[in-house]
Amino acid sequence: MDIQDQSSESASPGVMLPDTTLAPVLLTPDAVPYAIEGDRTYKKPSSPLQDSLRRLRRDKRAMVSIGVIVSFIVLALIGPPIYQHIGGPYHSNLNGVVGPSQYHSFSYQELGQNTQDQLPSAHNWLGTDEIGRDILARLMQGLLISLAVAVVVEVVDIVLGVLIGVLAGYYGGWIDQLLARFTDLMFAFPGLLFVILIAGIFGNWADTNLSKIPLVGPNGNARLLLVSVALAFTTWPLMARYVRGQTLQLKEQQFIEAARSSGTSSWGIITHHIIPNLFSLVIVVATLDISNTIIGEAGISFLGLGVQAPGSSIGLMIFAGSHFVDTHPWEVLVPCCALAAIVLAFSFLGDGLRDAFDPKSKD
Amino acid sequence: MLQFLTKRLIGLLFVILGVTFLTFIMGYFAPGDPIVQLLGQHFSPAEYLQLKRAYGLDLPWYQQYYNFLKHLVQFDFGYSYQYKNRAVWDILKDGVPISAELGLWALLIQVLVGVPLGILSALKANSWFDTTNMGVTLAIYAVPVFVLGILVQVAIVWLDQHVGFGWPAANWGTPWTYTWSDIQFKLFPILVYAATGVAYFARLARTSMLEALRQDYVRTARAKGMTERVVVYRHTFRNILLPIITYLGYTISFLVAGAFFIELIFNIPGIADITLLSIQNLDYPVIQATTILLAVVVVLGNLLADILYTVVDPRIKVA
Repeated sequence: MDIQDQSSESASPGVMLPDTTLAPVLLTPDAVPYAIEGDRTYKKPSSPLQDSLRRLRRDKRAMVSIGVIVSFIVLALIGPPIYQHIGGPYHSNLNGVVGPSQYHSFSYQELGQNTQDQLPSAHNWLGTDEIGRDILARLMQGLLISLAVAVVVEVVDIVLGVLIGVLAGYYGGWIDQLLARFTDLMFAFPGLLFVILIAGIFGNWADTNLSKIPLVGPNGNARLLLVSVALAFTTWPLMARYVRGQTLQLKEQQFIEAARSSGTSSWGIITHHIIPNLFSLVIVVATLDISNTIIGEAGISFLGLGVQAPGSSIGLMIFAGSHFVDTHPWEVLVPCCALAAIVLAFSFLGDGLRDAFDPKSKD
Repeated sequence: MLQFLTKRLIGLLFVILGVTFLTFIMGYFAPGDPIVQLLGQHFSPAEYLQLKRAYGLDLPWYQQYYNFLKHLVQFDFGYSYQYKNRAVWDILKDGVPISAELGLWALLIQVLVGVPLGILSALKANSWFDTTNMGVTLAIYAVPVFVLGILVQVAIVWLDQHVGFGWPAANWGTPWTYTWSDIQFKLFPILVYAATGVAYFARLARTSMLEALRQDYVRTARAKGMTERVVVYRHTFRNILLPIITYLGYTISFLVAGAFFIELIFNIPGIADITLLSIQNLDYPVIQATTILLAVVVVLGNLLADILYTVVDPRIKVA
């Protein structure tokens, strides 16, 4: 994707930045696709995908959002090796001298009295929480969890949503009926209620049983798996509905008819003609879903039903901090702002992608 | 109209049946034995069996479900596991008016504040008012309700401490009474609760209004020399009612989910608070009752939207 893109834009050196000199001319890229760029000659007309990416690159808000998202992802990924070294050693009554690499792992929680509730300093960049843990370290752990849940949920969402949506749209019949009834049912469950119920009722069971799965392991990840599955379960019907609608439209188009008349099997049509054409829709819906998923996970953890105490999650940090609103508002403001930033970034990116892929939908 | 309504009602019944089945089956497969929980540490097998029979838990699942439905039709949610001899309805009856009050005010504010904001924004499109309005509403819409709630709480506490604001940062007054102290308790939770919806309706009203203002009939009306006021309030306003009503049902679902956070943050003893408490106690009859109650609210909201829809746009009757 990237390489193709660069070749088409090879005339301008600053590929990644929106070209401000051209921006006023191209205010309505949908009206005049690419003919207006006069002095720049192309060997071949650019593909719709390239057009979309170019429109996206001109969208300042979306580009800033990508920057924010990438920096959060980097922060989350480099977190584990780095937060081991944040904060100096402290002297514990029970365990002697404990270094930072130990107390950020789950087993050490009791820290010295003098390190609690501190404001940002050179030592703790974002301050410390109510039991003296470094907030930046907690935040990095929490971000990793938010993003991991988002990835798991989106994978399930896309696979199930596309598969069932395409089948329902292409074949119709009982699978379509079943999907319609099921989505009605899931929409009747108000928002997070379903996830709250699943996480609340089966949480303890998951802690003891699901943690036996090798990849999941202990440390409360099992509950997270449960929350992810429940979240995915509530998001895929909407994806399937969108995909179904698009498939119904695509099915009637002439190139499908041409493919069918030249003897392509149904399976071939679905995999080679319909699914590739769903790409932009799925990307947009999935990006917008990510912010809902992150809010969902944080919300469930905030209610005390997701990640459990020694573990860290943005929602859990907000909940812990909310007890000290009057004395240490800092501790709740940091995770709140981080969550707001990441959610806004994904929303803006989703909006930008939608405008880029389908300029007519704008406004 | 009647045919449409019956069709919708049958669909609604189907959905509610599905919800009851899902909640029932969740409680049925839920880990842990409620009878053991009730009896505590020391009990004889005879006591155990007796209590199990009393709660009807010795029957096969389909009979349990049948009984569950039978009682549900009579608005009998059974007895709590956690508090012996206390009917579920007895536990819920204090929470329902509080949550209803919270929700109705929020719904009212959403529409009465959000829609005018959006219309104003559309009429002054691309002015500084429009830009700031849309920026702020976008941020409010995207930020989760519990972050918003906590930020407001932080602000109230800060004002109390530094300015001598003197407002409560949590708790709820007497339901459905509005003395000054009640208003102090209720104002901020309701505003936070409504904020997401206000933002949503403002954006929705702006988009629909802009689209309506581009229509031919608006140009005709203006060409006839009608005042802007008449054009906006007689012609376009009616046309933007349609999407607003559609999403009114949709936002009820958002409100129900938001209740869990608002009631937790502001310590409001509503129905969501009761649900969370009973989830902690694994008190399934209460969980089932609240789930069904909340789902029915959502489904009825959607039905109401459908009916209002046909009132606003008579063409839809045939659908």
